[in-house]
Amino acid sequence: MSARDEILARIRAGLRGANAPPAVGSPAVGAPDGLDSPAERVAAFSRNLTAAGGHLRVVRGAEQAAIALGELVAQAGARTIALSDSPLVGRLSAQLDGPELIDATDRAGLLEADLGASGVQHAIAETGTLVLETRSERNRLVSLLPPRHVAVLHADDILATLGDALAAVDPGGTGAASRAVTFISGPSRTADIELVLVVGVHGPRELSVILIDPRHEPPTP
Amino acid sequence: MSTLRPEDFRSNASEALRDDVLRGALRKATDLFGSQRGAAVAQMPAWEALRERASAIKAEALATLDVQLERFEERARANGIEVRWARDAAEASEQVAAIAARLGRPTIVKGKSMTTEEIRLNEHLEREGHQPVETDLGEWIVQLAGETPSHIIAPAIHKTKGQIGELFAERLGIPRTEDERELTRAARNALRESFATAELGVTGANFAVAETGSILLIENEGNIRLATSMPRVLVSIVGIEKVIPRLADLQVFLRLLPRSGTGQRLTSYQSLLSGPRAGPDDDGPEEMIVILLDNGRSTLLGDDELRESLACIRCGACLNSCPVYREIGGHAYGSVYAGPIGSVITPGLQGLEKTSDLPFASSLCGACRDVCPVKIDLPRLLSRLRAEAVEGVGASPGLGAPPPRRLERAAFALWSWLAADSGRWRLAIGAARLAQRVGLDSLAPPARAWRTGRELRPLAARSFRDLWRTNGEDRQ
Ligand code: SF4
Repeated sequence: MSARDEILARIRAGLRGANAPPAVGSPAVGAPDGLDSPAERVAAFSRNLTAAGGHLRVVRGAEQAAIALGELVAQAGARTIALSDSPLVGRLSAQLDGPELIDATDRAGLLEADLGASGVQHAIAETGTLVLETRSERNRLVSLLPPRHVAVLHADDILATLGDALAAVDPGGTGAASRAVTFISGPSRTADIELVLVVGVHGPRELSVILIDPRHEPPTP
Repeated sequence: MSTLRPEDFRSNASEALRDDVLRGALRKATDLFGSQRGAAVAQMPAWEALRERASAIKAEALATLDVQLERFEERARANGIEVRWARDAAEASEQVAAIAARLGRPTIVKGKSMTTEEIRLNEHLEREGHQPVETDLGEWIVQLAGETPSHIIAPAIHKTKGQIGELFAERLGIPRTEDERELTRAARNALRESFATAELGVTGANFAVAETGSILLIENEGNIRLATSMPRVLVSIVGIEKVIPRLADLQVFLRLLPRSGTGQRLTSYQSLLSGPRAGPDDDGPEEMIVILLDNGRSTLLGDDELRESLACIRCGACLNSCPVYREIGGHAYGSVYAGPIGSVITPGLQGLEKTSDLPFASSLCGACRDVCPVKIDLPRLLSRLRAEAVEGVGASPGLGAPPPRRLERAAFALWSWLAADSGRWRLAIGAARLAQRVGLDSLAPPARAWRTGRELRPLAARSFRDLWRTNGEDRQ
């Protein structure tokens, strides 16, 4: 008998007489309320992203987003920048003046890059999380190898809860999700040496989100 | 590698109790994780409802495990994942070794995985001439030192930064330092070289989703993301109990697991992986293999009581809350799975023959049951295994039985005989009072051994019954 058939046979024999009713009710237990309006979602996302150690820049449109990206690059003193192949990231980075741009398929370049820039497909207000799908762009290593990750997010893509995000990555649960969906909440971290928190072990030590929100009212000076 | 065995539990535990550095570190870690968990739970009003729900989902998944696994296999294959099955540790390890051999002795990068520890994958790969590299910082430190993890979440908690600084200076040739940041940076740089050249990534998984044929991996460091994204081939070894029915169920576990483990709302990263690169998903490994591992789990499943232990999501909360674990740490258990849950599943997977001391490593205080996010009734399972250890029967059919504990059995037989009759009981208490006055320490060796380290409360000069009778008469 193959290992497969033998294991399945053992399971069936072991389960004879066992029964558990299907877990009924909604799995959305513990989901937060009050995230119905876009403004509430933006506010909760901002709060939770910051609590998780991420930085946020809110802008009203693509033009300002490009400026924000330029500022983040300058602040970091980044000389080489890895880019996902998202059209938005391409557009924003076109105006960058100075740094060397590296393609998401260039392994050696990615390992040396000072900063990686990617888009974001969904975000989660409940947890301040970014959700990156591989179907939309090559984002796995751009968001991971360089010590800084800048992610560009549209306010409309902020969903309320974890459950909403799971439903969005695979509508109907049909196995249609991207081959890799990465949930990111803050920078890479460890406390493996004497429980002292160190930020930036294998992944980025800095996570910055440029949030494009046309409804955003800049504080009046 | 220093390999401790569960049959040496007593001497391992005594040794751990004499190690002040270890006990200090354990106290710090378990206190920290425990208090962070408490704070996170306090902020989640629906905590009890979440636990109920998680427990129900796991019960459903386990009661229909064959169907869930077949569905997982079908969906995963449809997305280009190669699904294999392994009856035991040897079969799983051989499959990984064969893949490594096909790739021509590649660099192998590993993500932290209890399952690969359980099957001693590294030892097997090394015997076959491969060099697997652990990439989780704590696991890597432990691997460099030739040791084994001592805590499920903080594997190197038993080592001080001074020891780690020395280890790194010796093995990496860097200047000696005790700065956590510098040590972490040194590890990042060293492991980057492994990641850059790795052809094979090996991981476990926290969950497998039947509905979509996906696996989910949870972490904070980013090494699992690297190990699953950079190498050309990815192999994930997944215990058959890890499967859950629906993708939507994940939100329940994502709300429970990080809060229970480290008190985080969510860990830094979760990777939901559903197949190798293909078509528009032009990123990640070219080949993805999932090995579904039994290794004793189907036997546990066949036991109506112990089945419950397969619901464990390996959060570590029961370890942190356990007054025994908090003193002796993970090594003493002589098994990858330590603490209350380890004392149930190690005998469950290996039989009680060599593990019969483990169910006794508990005060049955119930703290583990109270914190468990999937509501496993650990004290009940421990009591059941204790009874079997005393009777000398095997925990599961086909697994070896320990020798019966005749003395204990006799002592309890005597107890129940005395307690079943009020005359006999009064006589026994009277005798005990006398013995106490004479000094119990002068008793025979087994009683003396039991007395070591325990304070006996002196029996009152007059029993409650006696007082009641007299005072009751006074009042009338
Ligand atoms: S038994 Fe419960 S508390 Fe212990 S590790 Fe498993 S899930 Fe966590």
